[in-house]
Amino acid sequence: MSQLLHVDNVSVTFDGFKAINQLSFDIGNCELRAIIGPNGAGKTTLMDIITGKTRPDSGDVRWGDTGISLLRFSEARIAQMGIGRKFQKPTVFEKQSVYENLLMSLNNNRNPFSVLTYKRNRADDEKIQNLLHQISLQSQKGFLAGQLSHGQKQWLEIGMLLAQDPQLLLVDEPAAGMTAPERKITVNLLKDLSRTRAIVVVEHDMEFIRQLNCRVTVLHEGAVLAEGQIDFISNNQDVIEVYLGR
Amino acid sequence: MENTLFTKYLFKHPSVLVFLTLLSLFTLSVVVLAEGFGFGLISTSFVKTLGKTLCLCMVAIAMDLVWGFCGILSLGHFAFFALGGYMIGMWLMYARTELIVLDATQSLALPLTKTEITEAVGIQIFGVVGGSEIPLIWSFADLFWVQLILVILVPGSLALLFGWLAFRSRVNGVYLSILTQAFTLALALYLFQNDSGLRGNNGLSGLQNIPGFDDVPQSIISIWFLFGSAVVLGIVYLLAHLIVSSKLGNIIQGIRDDETRVRFLGYNVESYKLFVFVITASISAVAGAIYYPQAGIINPAELAPIASIYLAVWVAIGGRGRLYGAVIGASFVSLLSSYFTGGQAPDISLGFATIRWTEWWLVLLGLSFVFVTLYAPKGIGGLFDHIKGK
Repeated sequence: MSQLLHVDNVSVTFDGFKAINQLSFDIGNCELRAIIGPNGAGKTTLMDIITGKTRPDSGDVRWGDTGISLLRFSEARIAQMGIGRKFQKPTVFEKQSVYENLLMSLNNNRNPFSVLTYKRNRADDEKIQNLLHQISLQSQKGFLAGQLSHGQKQWLEIGMLLAQDPQLLLVDEPAAGMTAPERKITVNLLKDLSRTRAIVVVEHDMEFIRQLNCRVTVLHEGAVLAEGQIDFISNNQDVIEVYLGR
Repeated sequence: MENTLFTKYLFKHPSVLVFLTLLSLFTLSVVVLAEGFGFGLISTSFVKTLGKTLCLCMVAIAMDLVWGFCGILSLGHFAFFALGGYMIGMWLMYARTELIVLDATQSLALPLTKTEITEAVGIQIFGVVGGSEIPLIWSFADLFWVQLILVILVPGSLALLFGWLAFRSRVNGVYLSILTQAFTLALALYLFQNDSGLRGNNGLSGLQNIPGFDDVPQSIISIWFLFGSAVVLGIVYLLAHLIVSSKLGNIIQGIRDDETRVRFLGYNVESYKLFVFVITASISAVAGAIYYPQAGIINPAELAPIASIYLAVWVAIGGRGRLYGAVIGASFVSLLSSYFTGGQAPDISLGFATIRWTEWWLVLLGLSFVFVTLYAPKGIGGLFDHIKGK
């Protein structure tokens, strides 16, 4: 498995609080990875650093075969380079239709002038229909995104990421607020997607992670505490102490 | 081909069709009823007021694009409006003064040289601020087409520079609003100076006199301008509608509702904001260039910060996020405002006190703003949703 993302010895401090402390971390192509950790462990900050929202004080983030450093790029550029991000709270454009939400996310030219003169076409329509099928929202195509249920919004946001055709998906708490059947669909969706791209899932719910059945990284106080398969993690003494045992 | 594309577009978007039809009907009936043309039921000054109102509708559309659709509460768009007025005003004033100078010296045995003409024009225009030199910024004032290009170029570049600095630093929300207020105030203070080259607080005057058309009465000129204003308003409305119904319209509304999400979809949010800011500044400038020849005078007081705040109030009352809402708000409120502050509304005597509308109009406006915000957050335009819903 070749390497896709390499977070190298990164530290970041907020007002004296070390949110990330010399953290190193790798993701391979088409890898499915779960990240867990108690509140304040630095999970969201790590995502912020990878996607360019937060600049680390030291360390580097390297991307792709060329190992190009992501630190000097804007959020928009990093997204264009192939890293998609789903937020903790589902963020979709509630006042626009499901279709329009996906249309905006399609991997087309993002220059304002070409966006202004963009004409809807058959190829893009087909792509959107496929996405709608993938995220089980075919019959909600014309709905305003604000009318969807919480779980459906989560799917729509995943669909919006897929529309960008990213190589790496960062997914923050995808199962939050979902019913049991919705969770099952989400697990299958993520597993299915990880066959063609790398996915990092941040999740609190141990049962959900057990279902994903993938490699797990445990963060604690801004650093990696343990890494391994779920059974190894759940029997690790340190992990039990800081996280599972509580 | 072009024509069928246009008609197809109109039928796909009935609101544009309705708007353009109403605008044509309005213009036609004013022309027929106006003093200069036929029935004489509408006075020339009222024709001018209506023409000016159409120009204010254009700025309101610009404000709706930038605020209602893109979420940037700019409180400085009247600066661009006034700058557009100044640019065309320079030509109007220069060209007309030159004609007057030539006229007055016609009987001289020796015709004036070019330098002498320039000097005479300089004294005529700048004598009032104690100067006679024509400032550098008036270099092209005798060339109509150049000044016409400057109408868009000067406010447009200023918007580009201001927007680039502000958006690049990610200045957002109320901080950006304050910055735009500071911008328009600074520009007004600069123009108030006598050596700014634009006649200080005197401003530019006599703009209602179009050079070369001295023998055409104002009653006719006012109709030309009303007609011109209506045509440009129609074009601006269509243009704005094309923008908001395109994919770019989706993106800017996305920026309004969730800027971060748009950014993480890979869009460079700053360049979109800049695009909308510059386009709307240019629309405002064009509106100003048609407004001030009808107003006759422009001075730095037009750039007062309060003017741009009123603009936001119009759009809020009319209903932001819908183009016809902006038009309704601007026309409704500005016409009412000129009715109440023009001394036409009868005072109400309460015995112990008298309500003078010239003073109480602002109270009324303030109350209706509060009322709309509380009870009709979608504005007057939002009422159409109820009609459509039933």
